[in-house]
Amino acid sequence: MTAAVSHRALSAADLEAILDVTKALAAPFDLTTMLGEVVAAAKQVLRAERGSVWLYDEPHGELVLEVATGIAPVRVAWQSGLVGACATTRRIINVPDCYADPRFDRSVDKSTGYRTRCMLTLPLVDHKDVLVGVMQVLNKVNGVFDPDDEALATALAAQCAVALSRVRMTSAVIEGERMRKALEMAREVQMSTLPASMPAVPGYGVCASFRPAELTGGDIYDVALVDQGLLLVLGDATGHGIAPALSVTQMQAMLRMAFRLGADLDTAFLNVNNRLTDTLAEDRFITAFIGVLDPGTHELRFHSGGQGPILRYRAAERSFERHRPTSFPLGAMPVSSLRAATSLRLARGDVLALVSDGVYEQENRAGEAFGEARVCRIIDEGRDAPVAELVDRLVAAVDAFAGGAPQSDDMTIVLLRRHEGASVDGRFARRTDALAGLVAFSADAFERLAIDSRLLPRVDLAVEELFTNMVKYGRGGGGAVEVRLAAIEGGIEVVLVDRDVEPFDVTRAPDVDIGRPIEQREPGGLGLHLVRRMADFVGYEYEPASRESRITVRFTIAQGDPV
Amino acid sequence: MLSIEQAEPGIVVIAGRLDAAEAASAQAFLDQVSGTVTLDCTGLDYISSAGLGVLLKTQKRLLGANGGLRLRGLKPHIVDVFTYSGFDRIFEIEAGH
Repeated sequence: MTAAVSHRALSAADLEAILDVTKALAAPFDLTTMLGEVVAAAKQVLRAERGSVWLYDEPHGELVLEVATGIAPVRVAWQSGLVGACATTRRIINVPDCYADPRFDRSVDKSTGYRTRCMLTLPLVDHKDVLVGVMQVLNKVNGVFDPDDEALATALAAQCAVALSRVRMTSAVIEGERMRKALEMAREVQMSTLPASMPAVPGYGVCASFRPAELTGGDIYDVALVDQGLLLVLGDATGHGIAPALSVTQMQAMLRMAFRLGADLDTAFLNVNNRLTDTLAEDRFITAFIGVLDPGTHELRFHSGGQGPILRYRAAERSFERHRPTSFPLGAMPVSSLRAATSLRLARGDVLALVSDGVYEQENRAGEAFGEARVCRIIDEGRDAPVAELVDRLVAAVDAFAGGAPQSDDMTIVLLRRHEGASVDGRFARRTDALAGLVAFSADAFERLAIDSRLLPRVDLAVEELFTNMVKYGRGGGGAVEVRLAAIEGGIEVVLVDRDVEPFDVTRAPDVDIGRPIEQREPGGLGLHLVRRMADFVGYEYEPASRESRITVRFTIAQGDPV
Repeated sequence: MLSIEQAEPGIVVIAGRLDAAEAASAQAFLDQVSGTVTLDCTGLDYISSAGLGVLLKTQKRLLGANGGLRLRGLKPHIVDVFTYSGFDRIFEIEAGH
């Protein structure tokens, strides 16, 4: 072939055209521009009326012709027609009379109205011997393509192939980089919505851990105190890449908004589901646990849209209870009514474990999954450890199990435990002169339960105020008032129970306006006002059957408390 | 237990616990004082709303006769009770010592 080139000297313009293509190798052209350059060079060098480049789409096994911007490209199976023959054989095909060749496809001419006389079809094979595409030049001006043209075209084709290959690789890298940046940003958004710290919930320990997989994953969790109680969320969006990271972020924002606006659990779940159904792509959905704990009654109500298993550790029996999802995943389809939420009453020492797929499905080098049994065993073995340590142990156990095998999905763990905490009970006659006994009882309980003595004046005040209130307003048969003091994490829980009385919700007693001038101030109402101001939590329950009033108050040492 | 006594003219020393059980005896004592009185609370360990009521009633009576009740030597957790109840605006409270 090289010898054939000597048949005809290259014109200065020919050379220039080939050099232009060579020069373009280094230019940062996009693919469309480069295709135009290549075709223009071919037309000029080979004195052809028209030219086109079919790119080889290897994954689809097709040859693709970009016709014009905005028009869908022409695609043909890579073995079909003249271009196919050229692609499969990787040999130049010179057809002097197209309409005499059965391989020629006349349909293109028919649709364009252009008549193809003769045609040169060249394989574009790059420097790594990879087929990039097929170039066709049509209708040589005043004649047909000769062996000289074939040689010229072959030289040009080699340059074009390298140029196109380079551009394709570059754009793949740019696209990859763009994707990586976008993914990084989406992950940042996802991470930034996670709570910065765990809320302090008297009587409970709560801790969470989130570890993103390197590339994909759409986990999210939320632990927040809202008016309805302690909100607990664990979500996992389907799919890979940016979309799941963004959709869970969206779900979390919607949930927080719904609960802040006062929605109850069912309303929040329904509305967020229906909103997500509108906004998520058809093939996307989010599995999510959404629960609200009332720390006063210890009732946890939840909906789980396809998220499971939800594990509850029963400390008394040292056994696990598995709860199945109550509904299908969020965003999958609109819902107008829900099955009732699952309700659990957490006993002392019980643990609620929300654990994402990424943990259960983490594989070791042998391809074995971490599984539920291991999670359960660690929680049971750590029943006396603080929850934060328990979370650490779980994470460490997954790591040890994986033994360096890659983490393929986000791993999220949220653990909630109702504290054990020993308690001291007492019964006191409903009389003001029982106060001295109460004071001694509290002092003794503080010592026995090893509670921080800085809390004693506050506890004394609460006990006195609530007790004297019961003495004043309780119209019962003079029965005793039960008082229980229990140690909780960082503090103490005080429970007063009065039976056979009318309900009086201490949490709803009117506040005292402390800004009034002295002549308008009265001592009434001050006691409950003080208790509410000093306690971390005040709860009231009334049981109509036994006409029982139960007041729960909790105090914990705050960070600013003097030592 | 509560102790309350006149240490010198214009100064009453109160110590122990001023709670609902002791409020009546404290009230009976303070009903006897007149003019401008400083209540030395250095030994006061505890006060509840019942105790605050005693001080409020006394202050109203003394202010009405151009006198008043001043407090001194309050322990920090007692100061908290005064602050939460707004009583720090009703009494002149001298810095503790």
